[in-house]
Amino acid sequence: MSDSTATVAAPAAFAVSKKRLRLLGLTLDDAIKAFFGGNALVSVVVLALITIFLFREGFGFFAQNRQNLRIYRQAGLEYVDFIRAQTDDHTALTRYLSDLRVRQIAFLQQEKKLSLADANAALAAFDAFADQFGSAIDPLRAIVSDLTEQATAIKTKFIVAGDKEEERRQLLAVGKTAEAAAVKIDAVNFSAELKPLLETRTAYLAANRELAQKLAAALDAAPKMPAPEIEARLDRFKDLSRTYIAGFPAIEKNLMTWDYTKPVPAAQSFTAFVFGREWLTASFWQDWYGVIPLLVGSVLVSFVALLIAVPFGVGAAVYVNQIASATEQKFIKPCIEFISAIPSVVLGFFGIAILGQTLRAVSQQSWLSWVPGFPYSERLNVLTAGCLLALLAVPTIFTLAEDALNNVPRAFKEASFALGASRLQTIVKIIVPASLSGIISAVLLGLGRVIGETMVVLLCAGNRIAIPDFSAGLGVITQPVHTMTGIIAQEMGEVVRGSIHYRALFVVGLLLFFLSLLINYAAQGIVRRYRISIG
Amino acid sequence: MVTSAPILMDTLPKPAVRPPTAVAPAAATFSVPNVPADTTLIDIEQVDFFYGATQALADINLKIDDKKVTAFIGPSGCGKSTLLRCLNRMNDLIDGTRVAKGTIKIRGVNIYQPDVDVIELRKRVGMVFQKSNPFPKSIYENITYGLRLQGRTNKADLDAIVEKSLRGAALWDEVKDRLNTSGLGLSGGQQQRLCIARAIAVEPEVILMDEPCSALDPVATAKVEELIQSLREKFTIVIVTHNMQQAARCSDRTAFFYMGRLIEYADTRNIFTNPANPQTEAYVSGRFG
Repeated sequence: MSDSTATVAAPAAFAVSKKRLRLLGLTLDDAIKAFFGGNALVSVVVLALITIFLFREGFGFFAQNRQNLRIYRQAGLEYVDFIRAQTDDHTALTRYLSDLRVRQIAFLQQEKKLSLADANAALAAFDAFADQFGSAIDPLRAIVSDLTEQATAIKTKFIVAGDKEEERRQLLAVGKTAEAAAVKIDAVNFSAELKPLLETRTAYLAANRELAQKLAAALDAAPKMPAPEIEARLDRFKDLSRTYIAGFPAIEKNLMTWDYTKPVPAAQSFTAFVFGREWLTASFWQDWYGVIPLLVGSVLVSFVALLIAVPFGVGAAVYVNQIASATEQKFIKPCIEFISAIPSVVLGFFGIAILGQTLRAVSQQSWLSWVPGFPYSERLNVLTAGCLLALLAVPTIFTLAEDALNNVPRAFKEASFALGASRLQTIVKIIVPASLSGIISAVLLGLGRVIGETMVVLLCAGNRIAIPDFSAGLGVITQPVHTMTGIIAQEMGEVVRGSIHYRALFVVGLLLFFLSLLINYAAQGIVRRYRISIG
Repeated sequence: MVTSAPILMDTLPKPAVRPPTAVAPAAATFSVPNVPADTTLIDIEQVDFFYGATQALADINLKIDDKKVTAFIGPSGCGKSTLLRCLNRMNDLIDGTRVAKGTIKIRGVNIYQPDVDVIELRKRVGMVFQKSNPFPKSIYENITYGLRLQGRTNKADLDAIVEKSLRGAALWDEVKDRLNTSGLGLSGGQQQRLCIARAIAVEPEVILMDEPCSALDPVATAKVEELIQSLREKFTIVIVTHNMQQAARCSDRTAFFYMGRLIEYADTRNIFTNPANPQTEAYVSGRFG
């Protein structure tokens, strides 16, 4: 009895204290939390590491590029390039003359019905003129050729000295003092080395005056052209030539005031990259790391790709979301999404083997010759790469645009129909405007997809590192280009780690990184800002 | 949801034979001499309606008068909204729906005939929805949307119609200074009146209102009800409502639906004070629904 009362009197403990099941000092809840938190942390850390690595490798470039530009000046390469530019301009003018000759031949053969021999004979006066114009530059060319050798020799000496210094540094680092002392370094005395280079100034001045006289004399004695339109072209040529001659004093002044000790400002190593119009590596003369040709290539290819992908992607999204029956939806959606499952290297292969060939064959159809840029002979070019990239961008644009359309409240559609709108009117005036922000961000993300794509452009864009000729108008899209992604993939495997070239590729990578970041940020911003408030 | 008649009748106060007989007297009341036949605008005859395999409306017979307010009442899922949406063929937008039997005639024209242009029909039969749904455009563009669809672009005309419609919807004074701001920036009640203005801008003959006040507070509701009173002079209005006081206040005639059938249709006064059918009485007195 007393036992039972005791049991009743002492109630069971209010069991709410924590269970002490512990694993490595953690409870189960803590362990689960740590697991998920750890996963999130790893991705953040990896992103941070990649960013830091990119920056660390990339930023060394600017110091190296400055050194690169400094040696360009000190070894007199810059000096030589002033004169070289002058001869190059002259070459461009002579090309204009040969084009003029081709036109005259064509005119004489077609309009005047002369035989080829007769036509050539009729152009004897013109040939004499062209020859006089062309050969006037020869003395200057000889000077450039001599100077090139001298400057290259100075540069080589400098590089050898640098290598020796590096060798000594390494020997010292491993403690081989004796061997290090034995390494003989010839310090380059630029002032002395440049002396012979600068002494050619008087010869140059004389040659230059003579050139100006000869050209002027040749121009004055230019023969008459057989047709007014060709005559107009000759006039244009004369204008160009006179402008060219008028530029001589400026070149002379450049040469006379040129000073190898003039410092290279730090910003120039940056501007030379960002605004540089030449990407030239492993050259015997001077390496240039200018990103513009690559940037223009990337932008041009992406532009063509979007131009094709936006109508297809958005159009397909509108159709599937607004018009298609359920059966059609079930068929079309997986099909478009499947495109993104094709490996891009396979697409690139398809581009080389089939699309490039086909497009070129199409371009050579005579009835299509009115299309700008047609006919063309480069199988791999912006157009080919753009078409394939469009295929890659379509699934991205389609899926996201479809989502955006899906988010338009059904009430808008009903209201529009109830006011007597047709299906098309409802789509064009209500549904698409209401989802425009989503569609724009879909396009931007498609752009991000396209600009970062590597394999297709590497295989199909033609890989010519040069700014395409925009004077061809829209025809520019039938020219080959190289891209930022392509150049990294192509050259990264061959460069010496730590060299300026290696670092330049990293800076290109950084630029891509920032572009993608910007595009994604813009896309998200647009969605956030212009999302319609519903209800 | 709406199923075979026997089951639903079991749950109701009165035996299964009721519905047909309930309809018949109502129709008879309708055709008595004090309501001449030529005032009938919409004539619904023996309509059966299906959502896929589910029957939503069974044998509906109803005549809606010109320039009158007709209210459809009944518990949720009774088919009143479905019938309303049949009148401008909005149900066409839903896959698998069909009017299986019967005709709906407006001014004698069967609107389910194959040669009917649905777009023309909807211009003549406007609609206001349960949830206000102005387009994400300016107030001005909301009103002119339907007019522009008809190709009317004369700025002066459009301006005049915008003012007239907004005045008609008792909204002009509140928004006249901000016609170019977004319609989504208005309050709930203003948005609903904007939707009404948008509907009357295209000058339809009929305005269908699908529970226009269900998302509004009492003050906004009162304004919309006032508006309905003023609109009855120019338009035939069919309104679906859950709120029986609203039906009693606003409408001339009331139709009571239950589980896909029309139970009773009579003058509003009669429905609320002296219903012929016990189901109607049970519903309007609040005993179910």
